[in-house]
Amino acid sequence: MSAARGAFPTVTDTVTQDNIDAYAELSGDHNPLHVDPAAAAASEFGGIIAHGPIALHAFFRAATEWLGVEALPAGTEVKVTYRAPTRPGDSVGCELLALDGDVVEAACVKPDGSTVVSVRAVLPG
Amino acid sequence: MTRPSEDAPALSNVAYDELVVDERFGPFEEPVSAALAGRLAGPIGAAADVRLAPPAVFPVLFLRALRRAMGGIPSGSILAKQELEFHAQLPVDRDVAITTWVGAKEVRRERPFVTIEFDVRDARSDARIVTGRKIIVWPTGPGEETS
Repeated sequence: MSAARGAFPTVTDTVTQDNIDAYAELSGDHNPLHVDPAAAAASEFGGIIAHGPIALHAFFRAATEWLGVEALPAGTEVKVTYRAPTRPGDSVGCELLALDGDVVEAACVKPDGSTVVSVRAVLPG
Repeated sequence: MTRPSEDAPALSNVAYDELVVDERFGPFEEPVSAALAGRLAGPIGAAADVRLAPPAVFPVLFLRALRRAMGGIPSGSILAKQELEFHAQLPVDRDVAITTWVGAKEVRRERPFVTIEFDVRDARSDARIVTGRKIIVWPTGPGEETS
């Protein structure tokens, strides 16, 4: 690990319908669960849920900020487990759980402490 | 290589039984513009100036490729896991070529899991940029029809 690295930053995103709509536009994923309130309300989720990678976004922002880069370097590996959906209005913060050399374990959590995304990553410095 | 298409269907209706392991789709050419990359660098949708594609670009490219290969993630599916390996940085305003295929399908604890693989390359040089996979709980299992 590079000696120049500081503390792993804390990055928090607030999920909004605007950024869900933006993600749908950028990805082409217009699943009604994400963009149609009536259809989402009738689903098992009972309302709009965000695209899975939106919950991961705080980790990507924290990782690039920590490395001081725009793009993750060659050799980076990211393994993600999606544990719970996020909804408009949710605040999702990326927290460092463990650091061993270049290996980072992190979680994206809501303010109530529930984990929405678990991440294990190799972030070469 | 096929060009981007805006009239591809928005939602998949592919049943588990129709998925063929190792059948390749693509390569699909997709532009990675500065505008796209910038809107995925900071808060989602907020414009930023970037010279290299930030990591959040690649799950978006996976979804674009899935949409073109099979109409996207089927309604009712659950994204369980995602993995990415970064092989090289990608400057913005480049085209990438994405190949996707079903890497595996299996039923575990009575739930149908489908692994979809992605290979993202610089369309100009063919250099590998990112590989990865999505592991999805499919909404239909063996012997089940789509709704």
